[in-house]
Amino acid sequence: MFRYYLSLGFRSLRRNPVLTALMVLTLSVGVAASITTLTILHAMSGNPLPHKNEQLLVPLLDNLPADNGNDDGEPPEQLTFMDAMKLWEQKAASRQTPLYGLSPAIDSGRADLPPFFTEGVAIGRDFFAMFEAPFLYGDAWSAEEDARAAKVAVISRSLADRLFDSGSNPVGKTVRISDNDFSIVGVLDSWNPVPKVYRLIGSERFDTSEDVFVPIRTAVALEFDRNGSMDCSSEPPAPGFQGYLQSECNWVQYWAELDAASSRSRYADYLLAYVNEQKALGRFVRPPNNRLYNVGEWLDSRGVVDDDTRTSTWLSFAFLLVCLVNTVGLLLAKFSARPGEIGVRRALGATRADVFRQYLTEAAVIGVVGALIGLVLTWSALAYIRSLDASLALVTRLDGTMLVTAVAVSIAASLLAGLLPTWRACQVVPALQLKSQ
Amino acid sequence: MEVRPILSAMLRNKTAPLLIAAQVALTLAIICNALYIIRDRLSTAARPTGADETNLFEIRFYPHRPIADIRGMQIRDLEALRAIPGVRSVAWVNQIPLGQSSWNIGGLTTEPGKRDSNIQATYYFSGGSLIDTFGLRLIEGRDFQSSEVVESDPRKERAEPQVMIITRALAELLFPGAASVVGKSFYLGGSDDAKPVRIVGVVERLQSPSAPAGARAELSMIAPITYLDGYTRYAVRAEPGQRERVMAEAEKALLALSNDRVLLGKGGFDELRARRYSGERIMAGLLIAVTGFLLLITASGIVGIASLWVNQRRKQIGVRRALGGRRVDILRYFVTENAIITTAGVLVGLSLALALNHVLVGAIELPRLPLIYLGLGALVMWLLGLLAVSGPAWRAAQVSPAIATRSV
Amino acid sequence: MLKMQNLSKVYRTHMIETQALRGFDIHVREGEFVAVTGPSGSGKTTFLNIAGLLEEFSSGEYLIDGVNVAGLDDNARSRLRNEKIGFIFQGFNLIPDLNLFDNVDVPLRYRGFDSAERRRRIEQSLTQVGLASRQRHYPAELSGGQQQRVAIARALAGSPKLLLADEPTGNLDSNMARGVMELLEEINAAGTTILMVTHDPELAARAQRNVHIIDGQVSDLEHETRRALASLSTTPEAV
Ligand SMILES: Nc1ncnc2c1ncn2[C@@H]1O[C@H](COP(=O)(O)OP(=O)(O)OP(=O)(O)O)[C@@H](O)[C@H]1O
Ligand SMILES: [Mg+2]
Repeated sequence: MFRYYLSLGFRSLRRNPVLTALMVLTLSVGVAASITTLTILHAMSGNPLPHKNEQLLVPLLDNLPADNGNDDGEPPEQLTFMDAMKLWEQKAASRQTPLYGLSPAIDSGRADLPPFFTEGVAIGRDFFAMFEAPFLYGDAWSAEEDARAAKVAVISRSLADRLFDSGSNPVGKTVRISDNDFSIVGVLDSWNPVPKVYRLIGSERFDTSEDVFVPIRTAVALEFDRNGSMDCSSEPPAPGFQGYLQSECNWVQYWAELDAASSRSRYADYLLAYVNEQKALGRFVRPPNNRLYNVGEWLDSRGVVDDDTRTSTWLSFAFLLVCLVNTVGLLLAKFSARPGEIGVRRALGATRADVFRQYLTEAAVIGVVGALIGLVLTWSALAYIRSLDASLALVTRLDGTMLVTAVAVSIAASLLAGLLPTWRACQVVPALQLKSQ
Repeated sequence: MEVRPILSAMLRNKTAPLLIAAQVALTLAIICNALYIIRDRLSTAARPTGADETNLFEIRFYPHRPIADIRGMQIRDLEALRAIPGVRSVAWVNQIPLGQSSWNIGGLTTEPGKRDSNIQATYYFSGGSLIDTFGLRLIEGRDFQSSEVVESDPRKERAEPQVMIITRALAELLFPGAASVVGKSFYLGGSDDAKPVRIVGVVERLQSPSAPAGARAELSMIAPITYLDGYTRYAVRAEPGQRERVMAEAEKALLALSNDRVLLGKGGFDELRARRYSGERIMAGLLIAVTGFLLLITASGIVGIASLWVNQRRKQIGVRRALGGRRVDILRYFVTENAIITTAGVLVGLSLALALNHVLVGAIELPRLPLIYLGLGALVMWLLGLLAVSGPAWRAAQVSPAIATRSV
Repeated sequence: MLKMQNLSKVYRTHMIETQALRGFDIHVREGEFVAVTGPSGSGKTTFLNIAGLLEEFSSGEYLIDGVNVAGLDDNARSRLRNEKIGFIFQGFNLIPDLNLFDNVDVPLRYRGFDSAERRRRIEQSLTQVGLASRQRHYPAELSGGQQQRVAIARALAGSPKLLLADEPTGNLDSNMARGVMELLEEINAAGTTILMVTHDPELAARAQRNVHIIDGQVSDLEHETRRALASLSTTPEAV
């Protein structure tokens, strides 16, 4: 019976090709607009580490002066170098790492590959385990290498491919980073958490992950310049790089990972104790104003999903609504244009449910065709957005979830749109129809 | 004229007119706000920087190994750039309008020791003349003299400017209502050792590199400082029409001078502008597309339903014609009918637009919707309705009166 | 009132040319009640359509109330229809979405009367057909005979000089048909010229004059033969 309805549906759609095209197009444009924005929103508002959401924490400490100019009551969003290093050394959590951005120069020494700059981060060895960075070759450097500022590096797979024969294992080889020879201890497989949660500040949030990972003590010893943002509430005590290391300037990000068992409030107590201890030394003049964010809270608080994305998602769903209303109108017009047919079918013994199923099948056929065209449109819209702004490449990928969502949305939309007209079609009473005919 | 019978006929068949009215209302609500956001974003993206954008470009280098004689390198670079034919002016700069990353200093104050000032400005510095190189308009005072230029090695010392040129916007914020600010002094922060900085000139406009929306964009100051830093950024102003050629030659000339550095980037202001405002432009483009499609869909919806109505009512149209209705009467019937529906939709749409705007004002810091946009949106919807119905109405007018007797 | 001379009407569809009327001559005087009969497809409706200016003719001459129709544009034809001619259709052709008042109102609106005049005429004509009390009803709420009476009221409201009726009783039972016929006779008695197409020999017999159309041509017949022929031609139809 469903096959019969299906063939009736297709035949009816062919009978009025312009109207059918209009409905399919309306639906597909509506679906494309909403799925496009939803794809971006979905990627942007994603949490790349949901299973570690409660364990990974960002602590913030308020080292602003008592009489700060633009005071919104919030502590700076990064730590000073001093505090980050002290917290790191005290190892109050099971894992922890400080982090700051670099833009290292890579000199391969090869004539065919002139020196170039790339992105990097200075971190502690725990970083890789904390953020589940996948190693292709080798492993993280050791705690001992961290402590003695060894010239070791982990590099990305794409950098390894660029510098060495692709497919070979470069662990143990040397790479020249900003005029210093580093020994490669590990190579990371392609790894692009979206958003780049570990470095939300001072970097593109939807960019690919970095090429170079070096121990933070090594980076500081070699005076590798910071690539990121810095806020100073007072002048550093000395000029140059060394001045920043001793300053109240905030430029280092910090992450701690707790055991599943150990509690967040214990860590908060620890931070409070740390601040009070520093107060005794004359720092942290304001009343304690610490913050502790887990991954989800951190993403929310930094406004990873910008207002424009949210607005356009809302807008495109409003747009889908208009498309729906339009489809309802067109279907209604189409169905009501043939009350005679319904009357005759009813007279020939079709039950109301039969009419209902037949017309809803017709609406669903429109939905399926609309969904397919809508997917093609979505795919092109995402490609177009990518071409406008390359930094959105990672958030404009149409994944399986979104594919299914798109098809579901458009079929649901078409059924919804078909419901009212179908219901009206079912109201046609054979007797009445014959009388007015 | 014949509104009442049309209305009562419509009330007998409410669903389709209601759907069209709903569609008009939703469309109106969306396009009013969309048009407004589009205008807001595009006007943000079109703000002038105050610089001679068409002829200006920047070129940036970074050493991949330490450079021994930075001072000599800068002098040789500037000479090489000036030697290129078609170059009008060259300067070493720390930052550039629309460059996005910026040096900012907060706590600017005219009272020494005042620590809680919230005036923040962006801090341009250059050993050359930004007035010449950027092409800024000096509205008061003078440019720097070469004796005022300070050379500073950021690794060894902190540069302390004595004199500054500021923008009119900053001058008005620091000295509200002052007729002239040249010769006046202010402090970079409220620390005890902050020394006064004297204003020697005021430029009409110089946008900060990050170009935030709103009045903060033009709070800028310029100091006569050159950094002896391995990172070099030059702004070059070419003679009109020669920028592309000069840019290509500049890259060649500077790379020929030293191979210890890497070209980080070069580009004209149009590129910088496109990069800075890509978000605004994507948003505006998306909204323009949504608006266009909405209008198209609403129009096609009206055409679709009106056509079906015409088909359904062919007999009735024939009867009307047989009873003496002229073609224009039939045309008028359908246009009036559509106008009633559109008007109902517009009325609901206007309140929806205001409600949507209320939500947006709360959500994305959009100023309140000016009434003109409501009027504009309503006008667009009316015209759209008229345009959409004109085809079906015209076809209705062509129905032969003989239909009345040749009934099917 | 109505004069056609050597009129012809040719329908052209993609393949076939149909000669619906040929060498058609007729003269209807003011105040006459003419019944038009003839076999199916003979051209009765075509004649009525041309008489009522619903269709154009291919050649010949047609004068209505002294006005030569040839060369009138669409607006002038509409005007003439509106002022001089009233129509009654087999299928009633009331507008289903308008109540009786508004249905009768349609031609008056096109005439451009003010609202008081329209109201007066609507009430008068609905009273004449005996449906004044049902002004606010919709066509679907009436029987076929009542609907046809509304259609007659609509045709009368503009006080036309000529009333054209195409099988006005075709959809009605004989009782109702007689009622409609009586109404028409009343109207004719008041001075309106009536042209009525009918298949019913009984009704045709009640008209003052019968015009028989065969194969697109008029054959004005004597009373006796006419009756015989009419019954002959309608028998195959009476299924
Ligand atoms: N629009 C048209 N196109 C082509 N041929 C037509 C058209 N209208 C009528 N005809 C043809 O013209 C001829 C006369 O038709 P007409 O409707 O006048 O017949 P009639 O006498 O009214 O018949 P009936 O008694 O069945 O109503 C018929 O042969 C018909 O097929
Ligand atoms: Mg006929």
